[in-house]
Amino acid sequence: MDMLLQFIANGLVSGAFYALSALGLTLIFGLMRVVNFAHGELYMLGGVMGWLATTVLGLNFFAGLALTLAVMGACGWLVDRFLIERVRDQGEEPSILLTIGLSIFLTNTALLLVGTAPLTIEGPLPNKPVFLGPVVLTELRVFAVAACAVLILAAHLVIRHTRLGRAMRATFQDPMAARLAGINTARVYASTFALGTMLAASAGMLLGSIYSTHVSAGGLVSLKAFVVVILGGMGSFAGAIVGGLLLGLAEALWGGYISTGTVDIIGFIIVILTLIFKPYGLFSTQVERA
Amino acid sequence: MKFERNTLLALGLIALAFPLLVGNQYLLHIGIMVLLYAMLATSLNLIVGYVGEFSLGHTAFLGLGAYSAALLSLRLGLPAWATIPLAGVISALFGVLIGAITLRLRGPYFVIITLAFAEVLRLIANNWVDFTNGPMGLSGVAQPALLADASPLMAKRFYFYLALALTAVSLYLAYRFVYSNNGRAAVTVRENRFVAQSVGIRPFVYAMRAFVLGAFLAGLAGGFYAHYITFVGANVFGFAFMVSMIIMVLIGGKGTLIGPLLGALLVTLLTEYLRELQELRLSLFGLIVMAVVLFLPNGLMGFLNQRRERNHSDQADDSATGVQGGPA
Repeated sequence: MDMLLQFIANGLVSGAFYALSALGLTLIFGLMRVVNFAHGELYMLGGVMGWLATTVLGLNFFAGLALTLAVMGACGWLVDRFLIERVRDQGEEPSILLTIGLSIFLTNTALLLVGTAPLTIEGPLPNKPVFLGPVVLTELRVFAVAACAVLILAAHLVIRHTRLGRAMRATFQDPMAARLAGINTARVYASTFALGTMLAASAGMLLGSIYSTHVSAGGLVSLKAFVVVILGGMGSFAGAIVGGLLLGLAEALWGGYISTGTVDIIGFIIVILTLIFKPYGLFSTQVERA
Repeated sequence: MKFERNTLLALGLIALAFPLLVGNQYLLHIGIMVLLYAMLATSLNLIVGYVGEFSLGHTAFLGLGAYSAALLSLRLGLPAWATIPLAGVISALFGVLIGAITLRLRGPYFVIITLAFAEVLRLIANNWVDFTNGPMGLSGVAQPALLADASPLMAKRFYFYLALALTAVSLYLAYRFVYSNNGRAAVTVRENRFVAQSVGIRPFVYAMRAFVLGAFLAGLAGGFYAHYITFVGANVFGFAFMVSMIIMVLIGGKGTLIGPLLGALLVTLLTEYLRELQELRLSLFGLIVMAVVLFLPNGLMGFLNQRRERNHSDQADDSATGVQGGPA
């Protein structure tokens, strides 16, 4: 019974990261309709940037996070303006191929530059255990989950309560009408992509401070983010959060009670079942089926 | 159609003569890999180019074929001439099952669900140690008995002709499919689903046929792979194979029969040529993929066909103006 609570706690911790990175993808894939297979690589780059900023440049964790967010936001903006922009409105296939090419390029270039060794990011708090009844967590994990929550809230506020957020919502409802109303949609798309990238990168950096970050981790992260977005429903904020937590829980329980070797299979089973039985996802905002 | 057929026959003749002219094992090995990839790219092209849906899980069928052939050969002691066709059949059966589920979906959902199936199979192959020997893989898959006392060069020649025969079978089946009512119906669905439905074509049925044929051909290629490499590990389900296949179909030109062959030839040679650059090679591959999507969206064959059509229409214009100009 104690183990069950511990598994649930671990599941919720990893679920928070799934939620954060899936939130980035729900903006890019759910709203912009760019099937971004490079999402995991953007996450990975966040971890690598965080490592560069904290270990190589010697910044403290928060300054490192700010720098990572700024650099990765700029990267996301450039990727959209120079690559995605050129295949917009051509259906999904070109964007799929383009982002697969991008992910191959990013993974292998990063591999060339920083090598295969796991990179550890110095966290802002010591790895001291915290006892919550029968459950053991570390201070760092509690902090990272709180940071996830803050970032998710910040993204929510940006989308709901700023001028940019209103322009985004208008553009994704009807790009033509948005243009007629004087919204520079190209800029909105680029900002959305940049925001999605920043969310992925921050998840990468936070998780890198708990475990370690690894250059070739991107592929699996992309897939899990897709699992969460499809489970939660395209473009749904609540869906990404609930889906992320559910995936984290399911994996923790599967790993605890069934087998640790096949943990990654659970996500794929979830996505197959979702697409067969509930193709709208749990919280889809758009009436649309797969 | 005629152009495609004649080019294929000419390529086949060149390939027939190749091992007789070349006495180098390394070159023969590259030739065999080109043919293996030609089979795989042709089978993927049936789905990407003719159904018009983008599958990222085609390695599922390559892997199923490879594992079937390896297991049949190791556990039941069947000879290669039985295991390779059986590998195709088993793969096709799974194609029916997976197609029945995945082909209901379209666009990005199809991409992701096919990828999910391939990943599930990869994880099973990696973890079901009793059956698949897990991460250690299956080694020592029997070579055909014929090769018991052949020299290494003769063995390579034998494999080359075996691969050529299988490629010829694959292309023949693909050719018959593409230029049949099935193929034309599939193209109609690809071009305009609603028009196709309104003239009585059921998209699902034709997509399913192409999908199962693609699975069968990939299974054959997998069976050949198992016997040629004599080792099968979970990497046959991996993304690396998938990426190679995609790049080949894409560079060559999807929706043409020659395109994937051209792609297989180019990419395999390029991979060998760039081998010295190690990891930089893969970075370059990424850049090449992006460049192709942006600048050559229909691949080399698409580009050539466009040129040909433009020339034709120019000539037609010339003759038309010539006739008009005559009496004036």
